[in-house]
Amino acid sequence: MKISSPPSPPKLFSHLYIEKGVLEHPQTRRLIEKFDASHIIVIDHYKDVFNRSNQSFGAQSGAKQLILARKEGKFLHEGSQYSDGFGHEQFFYASSVMGCLYDCDYCYLQGLYPSANTVLFVNLEDAFAQLLPYLGCDTLVATSYDTDTLAIESLTHQTRLWLEFAAQQNSLHLEIRTKSANIKALKNCSPNERVTLAWTLSPQEIIERYEHATPSLEKRLGAVREAIALGWKVRLCIDPVIYTDQFDTLYPNLIETIFSALDPEAIEQLTLGSFRMSQSHLRSLKKLRRSDVAFYPYTVRDEMATYPEKIETHILETLLAKTTHYLPMERIRTWQRQS
Amino acid sequence: MIYLVTALDAEARALCDHYRLKRNGVLPYTLYTGDGVLLLVTGMGKSNAAMAVSALLGWRIPQPQDILINIGICGAPSAYRVGEALLIHQIIDGNRCYYPDILYTHPLRESPLLCIDTPQSDEAHYPVDMESSGIFQAASRFFKLHQMGYLKIVSDHFTPDTVTKEGVIHLIRSHLSTLDTLCRNLSAAHTVNALFTHNERGEIEAFKTHFTKSQGNLLEDALCYARLKNPGQTLPLTNTPIPDSKRERSALLEDLITTLTA
Repeated sequence: MKISSPPSPPKLFSHLYIEKGVLEHPQTRRLIEKFDASHIIVIDHYKDVFNRSNQSFGAQSGAKQLILARKEGKFLHEGSQYSDGFGHEQFFYASSVMGCLYDCDYCYLQGLYPSANTVLFVNLEDAFAQLLPYLGCDTLVATSYDTDTLAIESLTHQTRLWLEFAAQQNSLHLEIRTKSANIKALKNCSPNERVTLAWTLSPQEIIERYEHATPSLEKRLGAVREAIALGWKVRLCIDPVIYTDQFDTLYPNLIETIFSALDPEAIEQLTLGSFRMSQSHLRSLKKLRRSDVAFYPYTVRDEMATYPEKIETHILETLLAKTTHYLPMERIRTWQRQS
Repeated sequence: MIYLVTALDAEARALCDHYRLKRNGVLPYTLYTGDGVLLLVTGMGKSNAAMAVSALLGWRIPQPQDILINIGICGAPSAYRVGEALLIHQIIDGNRCYYPDILYTHPLRESPLLCIDTPQSDEAHYPVDMESSGIFQAASRFFKLHQMGYLKIVSDHFTPDTVTKEGVIHLIRSHLSTLDTLCRNLSAAHTVNALFTHNERGEIEAFKTHFTKSQGNLLEDALCYARLKNPGQTLPLTNTPIPDSKRERSALLEDLITTLTA
């Protein structure tokens, strides 16, 4: 039998899998209206779909589906050793969405989840209730750990809800990390001193090669500029740095591009960190065979895969030398394996 | 290869004609084979379906680019027109549900499907058949979820006694182009991650026999890295002499990995 030209890929979220228990949740009703052309499939539990055996992460990445569910148990998890808690007394990340619209080759989500689909937990009100007992002291919550919340803000409205909650809680600090250029989603929200918008920035060549479906560097910088103009605190993250044979030109040029577009004084902090991943996630990433990032000969120690010390040091020294032309050391944070 | 699965001989008839299939006696089930197509007739019921599909897939283990389609008739509520083709996105069998992935656009009506044990004369909420869950359970051990399609054609509104052999043949025949389109969609939706050609794979495996398992894994990673980074580059394994001493072999491997990951 002859196979002719391929069909067009389906629209984003052509199928909505919805747990029976959240069919009447206002967030669910809103999303059903928004995706009125999508197929609705009623399910018992999100894991029946998200955790199926024999899914193809690669194939699903081009045709992501949305699963709406109720989060049972903990929304909040303690920040991991791979991340920076920025000196706050307590550091949590909130897991209100699983899966990301973006498709970055180096992302640990590919190793963490069996599916490229997105699970949206609609009961965010329970996350706020769980967080309240911890707010007796200075607490940081990262809201975009297992996803890029700003990228799907127009669907979820979760960032807006987090911002409204944070406005009432004086000890709560939020970090909203993103690669999105969707700053207009925040235009009706008031900037808050305790909320930091953090943009992950990479050289355009790295974006094109490894950060599929993400906005260009130019668009991200445009969004950063707008956020600053609106009065938001902004952090820039050159993290993870992906080491290639063009590293010595790509990344120093990135820093020059950033600071030719942005006023260094308007940047709260800049973080630098090279690629690192738990060994078990890296193993899963290798099985997908999608990108050379997974197969670099990393050094593995204490279950953590990083670039060999010599390269890691070279990355940090090169970037620090360049960055300190624009920012004082106290506004630069670095991630490096503790030896 | 396209694996087609039906329950009834009557469902298979039009497919045999369309794909010019010939009877193949290799399995204790009715099997037809042809150019790039296998057609299995399982007999009625989930157990028969699961056993027959397991036998077929155990005999000819699917390759990454292969697809499987279960095509057959189903009873359905009156909201579904007799003769309408349905693409199934949820198979319900008692408390268990199964979900094939539909990662392509198509013009068909999608539907859940209830998989039951006996022909259904009582009205149900969803279309019903008697084999899909058995086929799914067996086939999902071999196929990725997006490489399977479940195409059901409405034959009756819960009046199974009215369904005739000729009627079934006609229903399937009227949807051969639907089936062809589904084959095309399923084939296009999958991604094959074969980084190396058959010959290259042979060369790699032969080369790895000179090293320990762990060294072989390091080499495999380095080869994957090089291939993904520079897809056009040939592998530097051919004509590489293998030293006798263990120490020299280790040094050779180290050099190779350094070259491949440079």
